[in-house]
Amino acid sequence: MRYVLQRLLQFLIVFFIVTFGVMVLIRLGLNAPGDPARTLLGGSVTDEMIAEYTNKYRLDKNYLVQYLYWLGNFVTGDMGFSKPNSMDVSKLVLSRVMVTVLLGVYALVLALIISVPLAVRQAWKRDGRFDKSASIVTFGFVSVPGIVLAPLLVLVLVKKTEFTFGNYVLTIGGWFPRIGDKIYPWQDLGAHFQNFFVPVLVLALPLAAIYTRILRGDMVQTLQADFITLASAKGVPPRRVLWVHALRNSLLSLLTAVGGQIGGIVGGALIVESYFAMPGMGNLLVAAILSRDFFIVQSVAAILVITVVLTNLVVDLLYAVLDPRIRHARALA
Amino acid sequence: MTATLTAAEAPAPAAPEPAVAAPRKKRKRPTFGMIFAVTFLVGLTFLAFFADYLPFIAYPDDKTKGGARYGIGPGWEAWFGTEKLGRDVFARCIYGAKYSLQIGVYATIIGLITGGFLGVLAGYYRGWVDRVVSIIIDCLLAIPALLFAILLVNRLDDVKETAEWLNWLTRQWQIVLALSILATAPLARIVRAQTMSLREREFVLAARSLGAKPARVMFREILPSLVPAMLTVAFTALSILIASEGALAFLGLGLEIGTPTWGTLIQENRTKIYDAWWATIFPCLMLFLTVLSFNIIGDGLSRRFDIRQAGV
Repeated sequence: MRYVLQRLLQFLIVFFIVTFGVMVLIRLGLNAPGDPARTLLGGSVTDEMIAEYTNKYRLDKNYLVQYLYWLGNFVTGDMGFSKPNSMDVSKLVLSRVMVTVLLGVYALVLALIISVPLAVRQAWKRDGRFDKSASIVTFGFVSVPGIVLAPLLVLVLVKKTEFTFGNYVLTIGGWFPRIGDKIYPWQDLGAHFQNFFVPVLVLALPLAAIYTRILRGDMVQTLQADFITLASAKGVPPRRVLWVHALRNSLLSLLTAVGGQIGGIVGGALIVESYFAMPGMGNLLVAAILSRDFFIVQSVAAILVITVVLTNLVVDLLYAVLDPRIRHARALA
Repeated sequence: MTATLTAAEAPAPAAPEPAVAAPRKKRKRPTFGMIFAVTFLVGLTFLAFFADYLPFIAYPDDKTKGGARYGIGPGWEAWFGTEKLGRDVFARCIYGAKYSLQIGVYATIIGLITGGFLGVLAGYYRGWVDRVVSIIIDCLLAIPALLFAILLVNRLDDVKETAEWLNWLTRQWQIVLALSILATAPLARIVRAQTMSLREREFVLAARSLGAKPARVMFREILPSLVPAMLTVAFTALSILIASEGALAFLGLGLEIGTPTWGTLIQENRTKIYDAWWATIFPCLMLFLTVLSFNIIGDGLSRRFDIRQAGV
């Protein structure tokens, strides 16, 4: 319990520092009075509008006052108003968040579906032919940046290429053309998956490679443990030893990897959304940073920090639930 | 004495392994991947460095012979084809390598210095110093790295306008600075963990009992033993930073317009992928092979020195 409180406190400190830092950073260089409001409003504005905005969001006060005012509003769900989009930031974020969440969740699930069987199969016959070739492939995918994988997959899967061998024509690609703008599952499920497949693949493949490598490494070690020998010796079928006894003990490191990669998924989603022109949070955020729409940047950054840190916190607490050894060690400390 | 600890004697974090004999056999014959990685990187660096003097590399802004012909496929006339303005893709890739490698290396070096310094301080003093450094690391890791880089580069551009003495802060240095801050956190974390285990060792105790001051213990006794770990992580960090630079350029925060980097090349030509795939795919391949090479080297080093890099 004490440990949980300690971690929560740490979470709060990190949250305050990062959100405050982001706020200061995005406002750097706007020192003259009225400047922040003018940047926010953009274009030609009257002095009254500037004065009104400055008053409304306390833009003439020092950073701490501004921060506390923003924080108070943020907690109650009022994230300010975005003039260029003529929309409340909270509504804007809500309309965008779905795409990013779907991207992330699909990618995570797909990565796990690929990586767990692959890693188990690799660890089963360590240093065998399958293990070695799979290791090379996963190492390659770990090294593929998103901006490289996206064009490559588009070239292979989306673009239609025809190879002619004599009178035989082999056609590759042309499978996942973008269908209109039906991106939500409730609009048209088929179109939704067709639109999402390639972007999700771009996110999922490197992720799957990372998970596979970590899980394989852990399973190889677990399989050498005494309790595995014991299980085999007392006649537990090999399949069960592998999938239940060994895998269950190795899942902890996979869990760490999943938690640790959340930030990476968000960063990857940024690239993917930009490449495939999907209306997600990443696109919104990049546009807002470039046009200095403070409130969007601050709110989205705060949401992301909460997501990342909270995931890590949950992973950390899950540890104790899943592994009694850790629970007891912590209870003693 | 202790300062002359060679790399091979570097601390193994786990129990001493019986693998002492095995690597000695392997050391003679580097793996195929390692040979490929080193050859590729050396070749690329050579080409990028002497690009101005090599006759077979066109100047990146020049049109190829025959004027602004859009989209000659890869062939003898232009090895990697030409892009939409009729410029040679191969030349642009090589010049892109120059900027991408430069940015990556500078950012890694700065990150090594700051991250190493913070990590050693935190690991050696522990207590409140460790707390402060840990909070800094946590904060840097809490915000998605790419996002932070975008924000920083975008802001530094404005900060530059505010003061005369910041004139040196060109776009290249803005990117270097932003990326080096990103590299600091994971580096500091690993150095901190290593320092913590090193400070309990006998040679540190010996130095301290002989009356060495903390600064000497940290930088003359502990730091040399950290070199293998830092070197290993540096290669991995380098590969990540080069990829991040590409991502930044892709999002429109690259170098000045007209300066080719791989990210810019991919971004400029991506809409043309259906007509002229070579203009996008070759920069992609260059970026991929570079990242792969640095990763192979980093992986090889981490096996050699037995360093686990969970943090990166």
